[in-house]
Amino acid sequence: MKSYLGLAVSAIALAACSKPAPETSKTITQKADITAPDAAPAEGHTAGYNPDRNAYFGDLHIHTRSSFDAYIFNVRRTADDAYRFARGETIKHPAGFDMTIAGGPLDFYTVTDHAEYLGILPAMDTPGTELSELPRAKDMFSTNPDKITAAFQGIGASVRSGEPIEDMYDKGVINSVWMQNVDAANRHYVPGEFTTFAAYEFTSVTTNRDDGTFGGGNLHRNVFFKGDAPDRAFSTLDSTNPEDLWDWMDEKRSESYESIAIPHNSNVSDGQMFRLETYNGDPMDAAYADQRMRNEPLVEVTQVKGTSETHPSLSPNDEWADFEIYDKLLGVYDVSQTEGSYVREAYRNGLKLQQEKGFDPFHFGLVGASDSHVAGGAYSEEDYWSKIGIVDGSPIARGSVPFPGTTSWDNQPDNNVVKNGREWFSRWSASGLTGVWAEENTREAIFDAFRRKETFATTGPRMKVRFFGGYEYTDDMLNAANLTRQAYEGGVPMGGDLVGTGAAPSFIAWAQRDPNMGALQRVQIVKVTSDGEAVYDVACHTGTPDPATHRCPDNGAGVDMTSCTPTGEGASELKTLWQDPDFDANTRATYYVRVLENPSCRWSTWEALRNGTPPRPDVPETIQERAYTSPIWYIPAE
Amino acid sequence: MKYLREPLIQFVVAAALVFGLHTAWQAWQDKSDSTIFVSETELERLAALYASEAGALPGPEDMTTMVSDYVRDEALAREARRLGLDQGDTIITRRLAQKMSFMVSDLREDPVPSEEDLRAWHQAHADRFTEPARITFSHVFFSPSVRGDAAETDAAVLLADLNSAPAMGTADLGDPFMLQRQYGDVPLRELARQFGVDFAAAMAELPASDDWQGPVHSALGVHLVHITHKTDAALRPFDEVRAEVQQDWVEQKRREANEQAVADIIARYNVEIEGVE
Repeated sequence: MKSYLGLAVSAIALAACSKPAPETSKTITQKADITAPDAAPAEGHTAGYNPDRNAYFGDLHIHTRSSFDAYIFNVRRTADDAYRFARGETIKHPAGFDMTIAGGPLDFYTVTDHAEYLGILPAMDTPGTELSELPRAKDMFSTNPDKITAAFQGIGASVRSGEPIEDMYDKGVINSVWMQNVDAANRHYVPGEFTTFAAYEFTSVTTNRDDGTFGGGNLHRNVFFKGDAPDRAFSTLDSTNPEDLWDWMDEKRSESYESIAIPHNSNVSDGQMFRLETYNGDPMDAAYADQRMRNEPLVEVTQVKGTSETHPSLSPNDEWADFEIYDKLLGVYDVSQTEGSYVREAYRNGLKLQQEKGFDPFHFGLVGASDSHVAGGAYSEEDYWSKIGIVDGSPIARGSVPFPGTTSWDNQPDNNVVKNGREWFSRWSASGLTGVWAEENTREAIFDAFRRKETFATTGPRMKVRFFGGYEYTDDMLNAANLTRQAYEGGVPMGGDLVGTGAAPSFIAWAQRDPNMGALQRVQIVKVTSDGEAVYDVACHTGTPDPATHRCPDNGAGVDMTSCTPTGEGASELKTLWQDPDFDANTRATYYVRVLENPSCRWSTWEALRNGTPPRPDVPETIQERAYTSPIWYIPAE
Repeated sequence: MKYLREPLIQFVVAAALVFGLHTAWQAWQDKSDSTIFVSETELERLAALYASEAGALPGPEDMTTMVSDYVRDEALAREARRLGLDQGDTIITRRLAQKMSFMVSDLREDPVPSEEDLRAWHQAHADRFTEPARITFSHVFFSPSVRGDAAETDAAVLLADLNSAPAMGTADLGDPFMLQRQYGDVPLRELARQFGVDFAAAMAELPASDDWQGPVHSALGVHLVHITHKTDAALRPFDEVRAEVQQDWVEQKRREANEQAVADIIARYNVEIEGVE
């Protein structure tokens, strides 16, 4: 069992995908599209076209059997299976149980298999192929766990180092499986109903370790093509440097393959994702910032492997900062460095760089995803299956219930299952999704929303949130039937730059619950400046925010822990017009909205309840599901 | 050599042959059980494995290490098998089962359906080839967050006004709704996602009408609705979906064939579960 767990460890390391990279400098030149949508539907649009934009939900980060790590997790589901899952069909988890998407079909979905050795493992496991004759294939698919682990770690080491294992690096197979994934995305794209993108994951990881494991700073990012995709995917076997990826994307863009990349799991990047230097340790400059923002306008802020918004040590005055924090480097027990790993701090450093050097490489919007490696995301606390197949496919493996033979948390045996459950899997989350505001459900409209950064992230529920900033907004607009249109016409939506006029801007923050999930408790606006941050409650289910503390009164909502039933009331929608009480017309500020649901049981509590054992004591019993919008950047007049 | 045709002689010769072969086989078996033979092929495999990891060929010391590791693993693995340790190991069992099920899967050619097969499939699985029920409607929203308990009564009052003055414009009525005020040909199941299941169920029951109807409750608040058109769920004609039917049929037959192949293997075993009659 020990070796198997060793495999699990390295597998987990690989499953994580994110990586720090230099960010593009953002300046006013990189301003978001602030024009309001056309008022009337134009000819040639799909049914459901809405000039005031609809909220569409999707998952932009899904792995299938073609990912080298997923295959080792016993995942055999294909890209076709993944898209069918997203549209509501039931598929099998590698451990044999059924997976059905929580909350009904999604509007968009994207398979992002690791580009490195894409499809090579299935080929190595197919009798009769040349790849299956390789010694490494014999080992990998032997029944000897030590050999399996060694073979698998060898692949991980190659992905990390960027040095190909020549006999496994069969570009014919890799490119052909890439084109199969592209074809699957095209085949399942139904304009107006369901959008897909050709996409993959670039799996870069830094390391300062010499033990051959995968542990290191996660610099993974997913690459998405708006329409047609090139015939190969740039991977770490080309270069482990994300800046080289951007060069490639720029080159492909000039050949009319438009794309963006979305980094993820900055939380376990060991301070690398938002480091204030280039990949090679050189100073950033304006050209760097421009290239980064051109290629990476969005960042994934929540997923199974935790939250990348902020960390309690970075935001000691934010009572909600300690939320689903996961800080173990990939596949090891080492703790990731906090500084340089979180989005809110990056926004602050971006403003600082802007002030000192005239560019901002961290002018990005926010999305959420699952990073599921079993083709189907687990978005529901009540129905959770984590993400790495047979390795974390049971409550015991996830550490949500005591090890077999025990019923108490006080006397857990000292074995790897228990340890991995404690250090890793019990701290993973049933998260997340991306919301976009787009006129219709098509590749063009959704990709354009990515470019505008008119996106928000949720931790699983499909709550919707609008956010606008402008100078002409009035209180009575809030109750005008055409509020949305007026808001677009009089200001900028999330993702936009709000250029100063000398006057204080007003913000419209408007949240609507997921009709099939928990009610809302409060809406907050997070303000970031180059030298600080503040969290303001701006709309409350009960009462109004205290003007001194900027906090809502307690709305008394809770959870009956004997049944996980929510108690108390919450709001179906919350809406407010807000002005920053500490506004300074001469100071750049980044504002984003955070929406909090009432408390609900965490997945680990649901599993304990069903098992009849006490919930794990070292993780919270309840959580507050939430949404984060892309910011609006206030930029003082010149 | 006539005596060779004698039945008795034939029997004796055959028996001797069989006995001899069996003895030789047994001897070889015993040898292979107690001998760990490291073949030239195995040595090459080990060297290649080393080379792919290290990027250089192994030296004599490396080979010695690898061979002794190999011998150690092989000896321990055989001893483990002799003791039956491979029997209760889930990983090994699962891995072997997987290898076997892979070998039996997709071995057969896909069957070709007849026209009758496909038509029968189309009928038998009508739910898969059915266009969902759709609805076209406008709504006026009354937000409990704005009006509290008055949302319902405000809606009822406006309903009477709307139906007595059919020309009244509705764009400015009610509270702002974050999403759309009109939905065209939207599937009912989409309403469940946007408004909650109760609203979708209520809308499924209401008829299309010139009148405004309601109040209808959703997870978001209270709505008056003007349903201008409803389309019932309808089975798409066979000719239109022939290709989909065929694909569905073939996939199902393939699954069945694979399951059958596995079932055939299982059928070769008697399964006894202790404590279960």
